Amino acid sequence: METIAFGVISFIILLASIGMVASKNMVHSALSLAVAFIGIAALFISLEAEFLAMIQVLIYAGAVVVLMLFAVMLTKRDRESSR
Amino acid sequence: MEYLLALLVYLSNPWIKGLVGGIGLALAIAGSIVLLLWVERKFIGRLQHRYGPNRVGKFGILQLVVDGIKLLTKEDIIPDAADKTVFKLAPIIAFAIAFLPFLAIPFSETMIVSDLNVGILFILAVSSMAVVPTIMAGWSPNNKYNLLGGMRAAALMISYEVPMGLAIIGVVMLTDSMSMVEIVKAQEKIWFIFPQALGFVVFVVAAFMEAARLPFDLPEAESEIVQGWTTEFSGMKFAMLLFAEYIHSILASLLIVILFLGGWHGPILPAPIWVLIKTFIVMLILMWMRATVPRVRIDQLLNVGWKVLIPLAMINIAFTGTARVILG
Repeated sequence: METIAFGVISFIILLASIGMVASKNMVHSALSLAVAFIGIAALFISLEAEFLAMIQVLIYAGAVVVLMLFAVMLTKRDRESSR
Repeated sequence: MEYLLALLVYLSNPWIKGLVGGIGLALAIAGSIVLLLWVERKFIGRLQHRYGPNRVGKFGILQLVVDGIKLLTKEDIIPDAADKTVFKLAPIIAFAIAFLPFLAIPFSETMIVSDLNVGILFILAVSSMAVVPTIMAGWSPNNKYNLLGGMRAAALMISYEVPMGLAIIGVVMLTDSMSMVEIVKAQEKIWFIFPQALGFVVFVVAAFMEAARLPFDLPEAESEIVQGWTTEFSGMKFAMLLFAEYIHSILASLLIVILFLGGWHGPILPAPIWVLIKTFIVMLILMWMRATVPRVRIDQLLNVGWKVLIPLAMINIAFTGTARVILG
């Protein structure tokens, strides 16, 4: 069970991380990073480190991603590439 | 009897319990939203010397069903310049995240889907994630009003989350536990509203900010920025964003009840009924506030968040700690 959970979660984290690096759109990168952070929190839960998982979501996925989106929203948006 | 016992054993499996509890909670919340929205429209109508909905069904109680059908059948418009993926994902994620914190809310000593050791942290963490779909909805349609609403939502979230967490620390210090069940059990003799009066005030203001209702409804201030972060959304997408916002108000009232108003403690009536009654009263006060108070400006709101609520919450923590040391 734990092995399957580890496999699925790490697959999601890997996909999200690759998406973060490969994406040309900054907001897409930030959102992929959020998915990766939540995946890492899920890994912590599967290791029964609940406190660490909650802190991971609260600090990384919550605050850092919000601050990042804040900064990204203020940068100029390329209208052509978004179509 | 044997069947009942077998059923209980079956339900004690965490996978089954999570699935059944989660689906049950989602249905219960959806039902209560329909009821609460009707109560709100009727109540605010009365406060403003009008009748409120009174055409469809007895006392207009079917108005919400009709509105739901209208929203379902409306054309689903996606702006041409929108970021389509993010635009489509935002309502879904907002809706899903709004339901999550209820998994750790106790309606009685045993009526809780998952009594986590870090229950209150779980609720804080998940509700802090709720701003991500808001920003997604604000950024993706390429509309300046959406963007302004999203920015305001992020500013609002940053200024209420810190005092909210600090106010909860006082409660956790009195309980010695972060489990939601333990927090309510510790209030058997005295509700935390009395020893934590200052923390209660801070938490209520922060919770009202989380609900994003009228004194603090800056993200969708309809007289300033059209409809805020939901401007470009139509039909069912708009309904999902609206429901997610409404679920946040329900969560805020539930948290006030669980943390400060004694949760399920009360005479005669069974435990879950007490939680529902208290939550309903807090919701009524929220609606009453909405009909009474004008909207604050964004700079006033940030000032209240950072210069008033956080120092008050800090004083509360220092006071609680000192009292615990002196009184043992």
